[in-house]
Amino acid sequence: MRRLEFRNMCKAYGAAKALDAVDLSLEGGQVHALMGENGAGKSTLIKLLAGVVPADRLTAMVDDTDIALISAQDAQRAGFRFIHQELNIVPQISVAENMLLGRTFPRRFGFAVDWRQVHERAQEALAFLGVDHIDVGVLAGELNTGDRMLMKIAAAFVSDPVSDERALLYVLDEPTAALTNAESKLLFDVIARLAATGAAVLYVSHRIDEVLRICDAVTVLRDGRLVSSGPTTETDKVQIIRDMTGRDVSDTYPAASATPRLDVIVEMNDVSAGPLSGINFELRAGEVIGIAGLANAGQSAILKTFMGLHSVRRGLAQLQCKPLPRSPEQAWQRGIAYLPRERRSEGLMLNMSIRANITLPHLTGLKASASRERQMADVLSSQMRLKCEHLDQPVTQLSGGNQQKVLFARALHGLPNLLLLDEPTRGVDVGAKYDIYCTVREASAKGCAILMTSSDLPELLGMCDWILVLHNGRQAHKLDCDGLTSSELLSHFYEDKAA
Amino acid sequence: MIQTLRQSGTLLGFAAILIFLTAQLPDTFLTARNLINISQQLSMLAVVAATMTIVMVMNDFDLSVGSMASLAGVVAAVLFAAGFPVSVGLLAALGVGLLGGVFNGFLVSVLGILPFVATLGTLTVFSGTAFLISDGKTVFGRDIPASFSGFARAGVEIGDVKIPFLTLTALAVITLCWFVLEQTNFGRRLYAIGGNLDAAHLAGIRVKRLRLIAFALTGLGAAVAGLMYAARVASANPTQGSGLMLDAIAAVFLGMTMSRQGEPRVLYTLVGVLMLGVLDNGLTQLRVDNYVREILVGLIVISAVATAAVSKRNTQS
Repeated sequence: MRRLEFRNMCKAYGAAKALDAVDLSLEGGQVHALMGENGAGKSTLIKLLAGVVPADRLTAMVDDTDIALISAQDAQRAGFRFIHQELNIVPQISVAENMLLGRTFPRRFGFAVDWRQVHERAQEALAFLGVDHIDVGVLAGELNTGDRMLMKIAAAFVSDPVSDERALLYVLDEPTAALTNAESKLLFDVIARLAATGAAVLYVSHRIDEVLRICDAVTVLRDGRLVSSGPTTETDKVQIIRDMTGRDVSDTYPAASATPRLDVIVEMNDVSAGPLSGINFELRAGEVIGIAGLANAGQSAILKTFMGLHSVRRGLAQLQCKPLPRSPEQAWQRGIAYLPRERRSEGLMLNMSIRANITLPHLTGLKASASRERQMADVLSSQMRLKCEHLDQPVTQLSGGNQQKVLFARALHGLPNLLLLDEPTRGVDVGAKYDIYCTVREASAKGCAILMTSSDLPELLGMCDWILVLHNGRQAHKLDCDGLTSSELLSHFYEDKAA
Repeated sequence: MIQTLRQSGTLLGFAAILIFLTAQLPDTFLTARNLINISQQLSMLAVVAATMTIVMVMNDFDLSVGSMASLAGVVAAVLFAAGFPVSVGLLAALGVGLLGGVFNGFLVSVLGILPFVATLGTLTVFSGTAFLISDGKTVFGRDIPASFSGFARAGVEIGDVKIPFLTLTALAVITLCWFVLEQTNFGRRLYAIGGNLDAAHLAGIRVKRLRLIAFALTGLGAAVAGLMYAARVASANPTQGSGLMLDAIAAVFLGMTMSRQGEPRVLYTLVGVLMLGVLDNGLTQLRVDNYVREILVGLIVISAVATAAVSKRNTQS
């Protein structure tokens, strides 16, 4: 069997070390899990292997022979294949065409595409993986999520008569994040076949049970460093969770100053809306409630419900004893401020000035007043300790942390009743993170009710009074943060209350 | 530095055109009479381009302005011919412009059809309607009241120069558009929609309503231009506005090369209009063939936009 060694992988973005001297060794024929919390360095590691991001330092060896790994072509030539979390398929064309996309299509008479052969080769690849229930003739957009994933994997097996190189390594980046149990089962069979070809499989996942079941070895990263690496038989769920979360977080969060007040701002009683069901909680002025769960369990959907983007189908949902707003514009009017998850696509007008971005929801009256806007932006941005040259600078020139502060400045004008924060510190450096935590604390001390999502568990534990845990859109737990540890919280992501 | 160069490139080109024409036509080009003549010739284009800027601020387009201008002129002329007073004809034409604009806005913002497709559709609808109600003929002669066509010939005398009413109307529309886009919160919100539609929506902007209003204003502007055109030539036919749309969009694009972030601004659109108008006038005087003129105008627009695009890419990378 082939042996792949990656030694001393280092990558820094500015001052932040995304990967710090990580070693990884993979055996042909084995499935190796890569685990870690968000921001632990998993995706950076994959990007280095794929050659899409240049490593600061990296030694790659196949059977003790050094190989270059500088560009995506190098990775391709070395026989590394990547199946990404985001499935880039072309929905309007057939499965067969999707599978051969980027290759030379077989020809007839030198110019016409030989469709019969296109279909045959796609069919062969699917049959090889044992998933020939997928019809190569249908449009890729008509497949369900699981079949799309399988199609994408099978595409790596379409035989190429010109260069018949064998893959050495398959990297699967969170393939089951969007799959149902039955679909996952099918995928696991496929992974077993991949390993049976003699290739190494690197399997990135958050799901511990799954990893323990199908993987031979597991490597855990935390904060860009290697924490543990070894056979799955020598570890267990508790140990893995401890490895993933075991950082010391006692002092990185400002202390809560005020005790929550009595007036109820939000009441949710068995609410179903959009992808959500069974949402049950009460949020009081000054309280912070966190929303957690595995990726895409409906965290953002809860916040969007308050912006009027999902209508309530069932149950009682009230904001200050009235029904929820029906549009973002009503939401802002009623004192709800929203910080969206995707700051570039949903939050900011990147080419416009800091001033215009901050004041947008708060423009009133017919006549624009530059002086009033400037004053408003001035007060809010200095309150947020925003670092910029001047307020007429386009926000695209700011760092991620400062862009986020612009959104906070927008949200905090006139102190909202309810502040909705979707991953408020995503892609933000450590210094700005602390500023943001202080801002959230200040707002809550002034009586603002806060709902926040985060995939950073210590952050949730450090900032929140309560945490709701979602499973596929359903509220599975409501946990008191007092005395709760990251490991306990994470284990709730996998366990149902009923089970 | 590169930023300034990019922004002023179009202005430098404009200056070069002015210098060239002044040198080539020393006696006729830079005279008060010719300049006033130019201002009158391009007044319709100025109105359409200024109101086109309102939708282009949101990254939208209105391809139907030319046929709307024709339709408005025809509506007014047909009513005049039927014996209605001038005021009724004018109001009906403006009403048609507003309604057509609202319809465009409805298709784009409520139904969510791409502006290109929606307004391409209404382009033919408006044009067909204009043919239908005019029976495909030009309405002219005694059917057009003198008080209507006289407006285009009259003006305000200042010393020994007469500023035509058409020029003044264009100035008024431009000022109004400038005020709406630059000085009101409505304008701020339109720019925000252009900056990031989804973000504007989530920040509480009523995107649908504002887009609808913006299209209505553009339709109204097209109708005003159509009436000005009909008054100027004292006749109306169902194709007379057809040249306006491409020139108006070209003028806005020329203007966009001059602004900081490449966003449309009314005053820069005006520079674009002046550039096209001056070029048109000069080349006609130089007896350059009409087709050659079209080629030149197209090349100038492309080179201005290309220069801006290339230098923008260089500053960003």
